[in-house]
Amino acid sequence: MTPSVPNPAQWLDRYGDELFRFALSRVSDTTVAEELVQETFLSALDGLATFRAEASERTWLFVILRRKIIDHYRRQARSTRVGLEEVEAGGPTEADFFNPENGHWTNAQAPVSWLNADAALEQQELHEVLARCQARLPAQQSAVFAMRFVEELSAEEICQELGLTASNYWVLVHRAKLQLRRCLEKHGLGKN
Amino acid sequence: MLRLITCQNATRLLDQRPDRALPWGPRASLWVHLRYCPYCQRYAKQTVLLAEWAKAAATTREHSGPTLSAAAKQRMRERLAAGG
Repeated sequence: MTPSVPNPAQWLDRYGDELFRFALSRVSDTTVAEELVQETFLSALDGLATFRAEASERTWLFVILRRKIIDHYRRQARSTRVGLEEVEAGGPTEADFFNPENGHWTNAQAPVSWLNADAALEQQELHEVLARCQARLPAQQSAVFAMRFVEELSAEEICQELGLTASNYWVLVHRAKLQLRRCLEKHGLGKN
Repeated sequence: MLRLITCQNATRLLDQRPDRALPWGPRASLWVHLRYCPYCQRYAKQTVLLAEWAKAAATTREHSGPTLSAAAKQRMRERLAAGG
């Protein structure tokens, strides 16, 4: 295999659109996605010496972009960090879903069947609704959810990135899931 | 000893399952709860679906989203020229 030599003058034309789509698939904001791509190219320029010839230039740029996206999630989560006491289980958010007296689902929030999910929403519509629902989550929940289920980082890695304890992390994941499923049902899932 | 748990606790345990192996006690309590609670049975399936759909949605957008605008490319060219 011919060793690959980075060619910064070609990066934008060769990889710009692909990197942008990847960034936009994670952050859902055009301006932020553009900034992430630009930061990726600038970091790559700074780190040209660290490029290993056996790796592909494209793979290397994507590794840098993924790191930028995780940094973005971290900033997003930390900008709205709530006090630890507010993240404790059983806080006001979960009380919306479970009867405080017996811990069982409230009538209004009990999960309905999604057996007809395919009929209720086309796949593309489902993806769009889910993206909108994710965007409405509180920033910390949104970041934790994306890092775990889109970037597929481990719980340990996320706790380390965001400075969370394991129990706070699980509360955030749980609340994100509760709110996402409620949001999807509000937008038509499981209603036909 | 086997402890009966609430839906709130059962769903918390369900959301911990992808990240850790539940100890015997909570695992048994969850198993018993899921035998008689149709709502948590649904939640168990839906919480997995949510994660799968989020990944699938992002993957789809990676390949079908818009491209960089000409203006954005121009801005980046200038910035890269200044930074290179």
